Amino acid sequence: MPANRVLVIGAGPAGLSATKELQALGVDVVLVERESYLGGTPKKLKYSLLFPELRPASEVLDPLIKAGEAVKTRYMESIVDKVQQEGDNFVVTIKDKNGKTYTEKVGAIIAASGFEHFDSRRKYEYGYGIIPNIYNISDIEGMLSENRLVTTKGTPPKRVAILLCVGSRDATVGNTHCSRVCCAVSIKQAMEIKERIPDAVVHIYYMDIRTYGLMEDKLYWKAQLNYRVGFIRGRISEFMRGPNDTVVIKGEDTMNLNRALVVPYDMVILANGMELGLGSKQVAKVLGLEFEEHGFVRPMDPDRLPVLSTRKGVFLAGAITGPKTISDSITEGQAAAIKAYEYVSKGIWEEAPRKVAAEVVKH
Amino acid sequence: MPQNVIPLPDDPRYMDLSYPEQGALTEEERNLDTLPPDQRELARKFWQAVKSDFRFNEYLRGCLNCGVCTSGCPAAKFYDYGPREMIQYMMRDAVDRIWEFVNKKVWACVQCYTCSMRCPFNNEIAGLIMLLREYAVQFALPSAKEILAPYRRVLYTVLTLGNQVTPDMIQPEAFPDWGPQAVEESKNMDVYRKAIPVDLLQRTDIGWHASLQTAVELMTIMFESGVMDAIKNVDPDLYDMVSDIYEERKSQLEEIREKWMNGELKEEDLPDSWLDL
Repeated sequence: MPANRVLVIGAGPAGLSATKELQALGVDVVLVERESYLGGTPKKLKYSLLFPELRPASEVLDPLIKAGEAVKTRYMESIVDKVQQEGDNFVVTIKDKNGKTYTEKVGAIIAASGFEHFDSRRKYEYGYGIIPNIYNISDIEGMLSENRLVTTKGTPPKRVAILLCVGSRDATVGNTHCSRVCCAVSIKQAMEIKERIPDAVVHIYYMDIRTYGLMEDKLYWKAQLNYRVGFIRGRISEFMRGPNDTVVIKGEDTMNLNRALVVPYDMVILANGMELGLGSKQVAKVLGLEFEEHGFVRPMDPDRLPVLSTRKGVFLAGAITGPKTISDSITEGQAAAIKAYEYVSKGIWEEAPRKVAAEVVKH
Repeated sequence: MPQNVIPLPDDPRYMDLSYPEQGALTEEERNLDTLPPDQRELARKFWQAVKSDFRFNEYLRGCLNCGVCTSGCPAAKFYDYGPREMIQYMMRDAVDRIWEFVNKKVWACVQCYTCSMRCPFNNEIAGLIMLLREYAVQFALPSAKEILAPYRRVLYTVLTLGNQVTPDMIQPEAFPDWGPQAVEESKNMDVYRKAIPVDLLQRTDIGWHASLQTAVELMTIMFESGVMDAIKNVDPDLYDMVSDIYEERKSQLEEIREKWMNGELKEEDLPDSWLDL
């Protein structure tokens, strides 16, 4: 039987919610976090409001962070360096930032090391980091939560363009997946900008708006009804530096013009997508996990066993297996916790069902 | 008919889905109905030829309708032309639209390949344009003839000498886009050329030194690879001219080779360039 002790890698929404559940179930938790604080990417980038309810991120994260703070064996600014199998248990070597190593013996591991935002500099034609007043959605969150949404001139922007699908749905950078949340986040940011600067013109350049499920009217419709956010169908091809620190976009209004469209904006926001970061790649390597075709970690069975990894005793939660919202990550953290509990308390480990090729009648 | 009733338009596409008695058109007919009847068969054949080319399915993958190709396109800025338009026609088998496109707009592309580089679906868009153009030349479409007319001399030098442009080819009627400056300079091109202090052959009728053997080999390649077949329809005069030159030069080369083999020719007697013969 594996030991009644679980290692949780990553203290973001997924890792912390798993931690919270495991503690409630009476399982001993070892928490390892790369950064010096709990809360993961939402905390790191200072998320402002969360879609679709437009509530402050702290409202959702603080209870989780509190649960994380209650963990006694907590390794901050540390990474998992080595994992060795010892019977049913894992002997884990944890290394802190000074290179000092610690050893922990655990019965199961939950990998919840999450995603990283796409580095927009890889789309070189967008000029992120070169042309002033081009930001990522991840930069804007911090600017909104700290109430300093200004251009390089120090004034609030009067014309804002938001470009969706930066680093997602794009074979030129090797990411052919959709990052799922950027549409909703961008529309949420557009509404937050209009809330702060009511006379600003905000245009969202999109290919498809994927505010799926209950978010459709709460975001997509509301942004038009209450905030008059403009939706222009077309992907921007390149940005140029305009006079007076404006950004000139080059796009096509694919609904109307069938022509190149060259318009200046005070501020441009790139909705950069999600990728598996180096941190998660390192975790996957140490744990000996497999990757799926988009570069995320492959679960045992994406439909039936989404929180089980391909290695016995290792569970997955959150954006390590693909782009996820915060609520999805919390749900998966809870699911991974209960699966890990089943495993360490009763030794239950399910295997993936045999893959049967669907029989198709060809006419 | 009463005054207040708006008559149905003649375009059958407004009616085809409504009622059978209005005469629904098949998909195939609908894709052709905007063309004059005498062009329909040719348009269909043209599109079949393009579609069955081995490159077609490699180049055309799919389309998100994002417009990155058109917005990055330098030609779309100045002409009523967009690569996305073409991709959409191709995806929808819109034979009539493709026919219109290939008879005019396809020649606006400058083959910079920006669209191909940026396409998030990895379509080879500029390659598809090239495909349409190749078949336009093969089918000797009027637009191809018109576009290629000023390039007749260029083609001639490419086929026979292997270089595109010679200095004396800058003429106002052939290349208006080179601007008045170039035309002005071309007036004294002979003198300018002779005054250049590096070895540029100091002449204006050739751009490089092609030996008789090189020229014959070049033309052989052009014939064997099917380039000449492509030109045959679009410019038969040029085809005949190059064929004649080819035959003549080939026999000349054979003659010289024979003499050389028989020891009748000294090394210094060998011609440098076939233009000197």
